[in-house]
Amino acid sequence: MRAIDFRRSRLSAFLAAQANTRAPGSGGLSIADCKAYALREPVSGREYALLKIEATGGIAGWGETRSISADDVARAAAVLRGRQATEFVPLHAELTALPNVQAAANMALLDIVGQAAKAPVYQLLGGPTRHKARAMASLMGPDDAALVAWLKRAQVAGFHAFLVPAVKPAALNSGQAFVNANRKRLEALRAAGGDQSDFVIDCGAALSPGDAASLSDALERMHPLWLDEPCALTSLNAISKVAAERVTPLGFGRSVTHAAVFQDLLREDLIDVFRPDLLRNGITQIKKFAALAEANYVSVAPYHDGGPVGAAAALHLAASLPNFFAQQVPQPVAEEDRRFRADLAGAGLETATDGYFALPTAPGLGLRVNVSMLGKEVA
Amino acid sequence: MRRRELLQGTTAALFAGGARERKPPLDCGCTFQVQAASRAAAFDRVGSKLRITGMKVFGVSLSANSDRPYVFVKLETNQGIVGWGEGTLEGKAGSVIACMNDFHDFVVGADPIQVEHIWQSMYVHSFYRGGPVIGSAISGIDQALWDIRGKALGMPAYELLGGPFDTRGVRGYYHADGVRTPDQLKQLRETAIEQGVSCFKAGPAGYYEWIDTNAKITQTVKQLAALREGLGPDIDIAVDFHAKTSPTVASIIIKELEPLNLLWVEEPCPPENVKAMARIARRSTTPLATGERLGACYGFRELIEMGVVDILQPDINHVGGISALWKVGAMAEAAGISMAPHACEGPIGGIATLHVDSAMPNFLVQEICGGVRASAQDKIWEEWLGFPAMRMVNGRFPLPEKPGLGFDLTEAALAKYPFAGTRPMARVFAPDGSVVEW
Repeated sequence: MRAIDFRRSRLSAFLAAQANTRAPGSGGLSIADCKAYALREPVSGREYALLKIEATGGIAGWGETRSISADDVARAAAVLRGRQATEFVPLHAELTALPNVQAAANMALLDIVGQAAKAPVYQLLGGPTRHKARAMASLMGPDDAALVAWLKRAQVAGFHAFLVPAVKPAALNSGQAFVNANRKRLEALRAAGGDQSDFVIDCGAALSPGDAASLSDALERMHPLWLDEPCALTSLNAISKVAAERVTPLGFGRSVTHAAVFQDLLREDLIDVFRPDLLRNGITQIKKFAALAEANYVSVAPYHDGGPVGAAAALHLAASLPNFFAQQVPQPVAEEDRRFRADLAGAGLETATDGYFALPTAPGLGLRVNVSMLGKEVA
Repeated sequence: MRRRELLQGTTAALFAGGARERKPPLDCGCTFQVQAASRAAAFDRVGSKLRITGMKVFGVSLSANSDRPYVFVKLETNQGIVGWGEGTLEGKAGSVIACMNDFHDFVVGADPIQVEHIWQSMYVHSFYRGGPVIGSAISGIDQALWDIRGKALGMPAYELLGGPFDTRGVRGYYHADGVRTPDQLKQLRETAIEQGVSCFKAGPAGYYEWIDTNAKITQTVKQLAALREGLGPDIDIAVDFHAKTSPTVASIIIKELEPLNLLWVEEPCPPENVKAMARIARRSTTPLATGERLGACYGFRELIEMGVVDILQPDINHVGGISALWKVGAMAEAAGISMAPHACEGPIGGIATLHVDSAMPNFLVQEICGGVRASAQDKIWEEWLGFPAMRMVNGRFPLPEKPGLGFDLTEAALAKYPFAGTRPMARVFAPDGSVVEW
């Protein structure tokens, strides 16, 4: 047999085998039902909810949202039942009236499709574009000393990048004291963290454009990774005051659910990092936002302040984007909360090594949700 | 071949009243009636008697693993004059060779005097305009046509362009990459002064993500500050970011570089988005340069109109040859923008660039991808052309004096370096394995 004929025969045998073992197509991925469970971390009191979508073939997918009512679940089930899990794009639009469900449903549907295809979600989405994902711990604390202490613990846990709160001004446009306090905070954190640590300064959309511009000016030469949500997304002209003259990068997006908002920010040169909230948008929607960012050489670092199921979805997203920069996850202070998260979705998921998260490798979102922790169904 | 048969068929039908019976071509509804295939006879009265009789395309590999085997094209004419041009395209040698051969019908049989006319036909009649592969193929053919025309008229190409502005030659710069230690820098400074070299270019050592760390930014700034420190205040330094940085990261680094008074920062972000580059320009006083990856005058229009950059750097092997480089220069001149053409391929393109450089009032400085010390490659070029091509004398590239592009080259000289195939350019990845620019 000529080599080319041999290769062809091998290829056709391979294709035939694939056709036979094809993942269950229409029918097997029909959605049977959806359920939800509310969760609360024991010490921090952080709340999130899990959405479980069950396919008729027996596969179940998981997604996360902030909170969900019994009414939401019932209305979502009415939309989803009988549809195919592969319809995750049209279903996103059909769930528009249920913003608490949309993103979670997207994660759960991709989880089902991935499991059926026996592939991690990032493989469904054209990845992996990377073999690990830069980790960022969000730290909280009343003062510099508390933040420094927390930083050191997070460093031991393997993080190199940190989201830290800005010192808020006593009143809007309060000038020098506020700027100095923030400079001092970044100096203290950098001194404690060393040259290899990096910081995102979280302003929580609480500054006036004037204060944000002063802060951007003061921190410019200290190279924070970026100023996060320096001010509310109100007047783009006002925000241009922050962005036009200083080179401190700006991140926006944790409240954004429409691509048009990002498009406006890009058009006006006001954004350096897209920060869409994972639980408001889901995987597919953020992948679309990222396409806009890519055309402008802008990075994406999804915002996430929820639980470990969302974090898993975020890692799949990270490995499917070319322009992902870092995934932020809450870094619990209390050991009980840390254990709660690990017990819920599997230890190791939120563990950083040398500044990076490892990617999940099991099919779908790669989760093993511990149903014994879920408690009563939201109904 | 089918296309040529189709053309012959159509013209035969047009002129012979359809005497030859042929199957009508399949009509997909998407093709205009094919026009007369070859040069209209009406040009005979106003053209020359020169005709291109043959086109030969050569892939030339100096080493087996080169990412940029030279792509040379030789045009032969009915009067014995030959013209040489270069369309080397890094990482895509095979594509350019194929594309040049695709232009066979545009070139063979044509009057080489009509450079602009042939250029327009190759560009416009390709339908899918421009791009690096078509651009490089056109570039090579264009240079060869200029070579023929200059030889036919007995003038160097720069005279046909109305130059030179400076008979001493063309101011140039070498690369200073890898020169790091204070001792190496001191030595480079001494050699430069001795040789009259007034300018160097270097690039930051690392690779960048679109947001990057304090450590990376600080390391870049230190490296470049050391370069200024070592070379002293009186040698010009250009810094090539090579599109490795996003507008975000470039802006931060350039802010720190302002005190170094650089001649320019080059390709501070990738080239597809002019507005993104404008964002860098607005927040910097350091001159910005770009253009090596852009094609034809069209590729530069928005940059020029928006006043984004201070210096343009078309590459004569990609932009569309002498014809297109000169046009970009004219557009730039009108906007107060300087020209510092890119040259990082073979000697033919390098020499062709010198002709345009010397005829542009807004010319600044000419690149050559080589060091202050001659390399093995420089020896080969000298062996081919009979003079030290693209080596400076007193900080300038001497102008060729012979007609055309000003050199003689034989196929036999190239035969020692046969085409070893296309090799990709470097593929660089971030620590997490994701794709980054280099």
